Amino acid sequence: MKRTSKPVFFIVALLILALGYTTIFGVYANYGDRRDTYIRGAADIRLGIDIQGGVDVTFGPEGNVKNVTESQINGIKDIIAQRLVGNNITDYEIYADTTNNQVIVRFPWKSTEENFDPNAAIDELGKTALLEFYLGSETETTTDKDGNTIESPKGTPILTGDDVDSASAMYITEDGVSSPVVQLKLKDSGRKAFSDATKTQYENNGTISIWLDNQMLQNPSVKNHISEGVAVISGGFSDFSEASQIANLINSGALPFGIEVKSNGVIDPTLGVKSLDIMVLAGIIAFIIVSLFMILYYRLPGFVAVISLLGQVAGSIAAVSGYFSFIPSFTLTLPGIAGIILSIGMGVDANVITAERIKEEIRAGRSIDSAIARGSSESFSAIADGNVTVIIVAIILMGVFGPPSGLWATILKPVLFLFPASTTGSIYSFGYTLFVGIIFNFLMGVTASRLMLRSIARFKFLRKPWLLGGERA
Amino acid sequence: MKKFNFDFIGKRKTFFAISIGIVFVGLLFNIFFGVRLDISFKGGTLLKYSYQGALDREKVESFIKEKTGMDVSVQLSETTADNQEVLNISMPEAISLDDQKSLDNELNKEYKDFNIERLNVNSLSPTMGRLFFLKCLVAIALAAVFLVIYVAIRFRKIGGISAGAMALVALLHDILVAYFAFVIFRIPLNDNFVAVVLSILGFSLNDTIVIYDRIRENRRKMDKTNSIGEIVNVSINQSFTRSFNTSLCTFLAVSTVALLALIYNLESITSFAVPMMIGVISGCYSSVCICGPLWVMWKEHRQRKDALLKTKSKQKA
Repeated sequence: MKRTSKPVFFIVALLILALGYTTIFGVYANYGDRRDTYIRGAADIRLGIDIQGGVDVTFGPEGNVKNVTESQINGIKDIIAQRLVGNNITDYEIYADTTNNQVIVRFPWKSTEENFDPNAAIDELGKTALLEFYLGSETETTTDKDGNTIESPKGTPILTGDDVDSASAMYITEDGVSSPVVQLKLKDSGRKAFSDATKTQYENNGTISIWLDNQMLQNPSVKNHISEGVAVISGGFSDFSEASQIANLINSGALPFGIEVKSNGVIDPTLGVKSLDIMVLAGIIAFIIVSLFMILYYRLPGFVAVISLLGQVAGSIAAVSGYFSFIPSFTLTLPGIAGIILSIGMGVDANVITAERIKEEIRAGRSIDSAIARGSSESFSAIADGNVTVIIVAIILMGVFGPPSGLWATILKPVLFLFPASTTGSIYSFGYTLFVGIIFNFLMGVTASRLMLRSIARFKFLRKPWLLGGERA
Repeated sequence: MKKFNFDFIGKRKTFFAISIGIVFVGLLFNIFFGVRLDISFKGGTLLKYSYQGALDREKVESFIKEKTGMDVSVQLSETTADNQEVLNISMPEAISLDDQKSLDNELNKEYKDFNIERLNVNSLSPTMGRLFFLKCLVAIALAAVFLVIYVAIRFRKIGGISAGAMALVALLHDILVAYFAFVIFRIPLNDNFVAVVLSILGFSLNDTIVIYDRIRENRRKMDKTNSIGEIVNVSINQSFTRSFNTSLCTFLAVSTVALLALIYNLESITSFAVPMMIGVISGCYSSVCICGPLWVMWKEHRQRKDALLKTKSKQKA
């Protein structure tokens, strides 16, 4: 077997320490007032509403409505997302659960607002969207009672949401080129007005603009006189998803039913912030206790294990904060932190198994190098098998508690399709931290630990069987 | 340091008795005290208000009963995190935003000197809660099935079916213990319950697998004259320090969380960490003391059966 050279230990340990430092503090550059984030640190972690306070609402059709289409539910989702952004709430989570016709929204308490009224916010989000069609796209600016200026379309609407039957995205092939379009179907009530409007605008080379909640969605030029009540909006869409988003939004303004709050939860921020500090403290204490135990009991392998464990925790935090560009950031909840702490405890397993094996080999009279080599190779299958079980469990947790359209939920759909999406959001984060904890445990506990142990055992003053668990000479 | 040597197989009757005793006590608690479901599973509404001063619980309860016409229950508690007095109101049905608002107003009118302010609301329709509860139960069953199939495939050389079946018994043991932890500590079953049960399943099976792994190895290495019981006992003893130490570290980490959560009265975390502590012990115990010995019993039973068949066929001939 190839010998691992002495500096390897320091290289691996330094890499882990660097990872640990940068995950906690991040890497930023300040240019005057501007702050560029190169690596997102722990302060950039998006905290769940159980920590920073916030709102958790499920919207659905009012009463017992049958025949709800997927596009209508997606429309509700899109309009709510648009309203959240309009209210400067950008760190929301929103999921459309099309099997159970509901839309789940979670967003944090606005820290800038002292008197944030969550009920008013929920009310506003769940309003039926105001869909209007205007001749041309002129706007006028008015001032509301609070002194804010509002830009709204000028004139009286020719059609409203009540006159629209549905909108859908589709492909149309013209001259051999296929492009995404939105097809608009009107009800009989809107056909006459639309026919008149298209006639005028066609003759004047004008447009008809479509507005949702006073935001202009589209302003297509009228190329025909349309009297059948079926129109096609074409040309403006870069891809099919853009067309279907517009179709969804139009549908949300033409819902044949009202939107109702199916369930709601509001969490005040005062309760959560303290609990974050307490959990972080618990994590630090747990790490120290486990580290002391490992060093006192396993000596050299224990010391190496502590460095690996640090790497594992740093890796878990990094996988949540969005440190690695290929892993998107993740909302961290209290159970999510508990998951990280739990994996501190479980994470020593790989190191414990290896250290126990090495101890046995030493006591069986093997040399230090051969004991380390055999201890590592003999314990691999047990470590791998043990990790697989926790991964199975973590995947099921993420599938059950995660967003209905998420990867894991989709995998479990054949079994769990009958059931509604999770009524609470905080366990998803636990499944995730457990999952990444195990992955990093494997990477660190197997790869990094072994490299470090083989390398550090080359130092003469550390080449003592006692340090690897043998009897004291 | 002495080498660990304990006769796990010989003491199996004691272990089985302990487990049956625990299950029996848990069942008694379950029968007498019942089990409560959290809002997320049974639906309903839970409102939390902060207040100052001394509220009369019964008066508040009857006041809200009268205003809402529902069978509400009111509890007063205190969060140690910031020494806040909290009024908890739970209702059997989901209530609309407007009803929440009017309740706020009614409370503030009736108890205007108490500075009542709403902290949390959680409102969910009972049908949705029940369906979600079912989903969680299916998920637990699903996890158990996947895990047992995995064990059966990985250990088919030492009799995958028997290894999987005994692992399943250990898993059921752990599910029951985790469940009883919720019953005995009077914690309503909530999403934490699912998180605890599933983590314990993964954790406990991890232990079981390490022991099976040793059994597989020792069957190769050890003298063929050793009985199954001896092989398993040696295997359990060899991996015992590891099972114990990993469980100890996990237990220490979880109990740190539990302790701090108890001190600061963080309900959502205590209801997670305390059952988890018990589950970690159960997971280690069931792998070491139940699964291995049970597997030996199964194998010995099969051997006796085979031997009996052989002698019978000899007698015939």
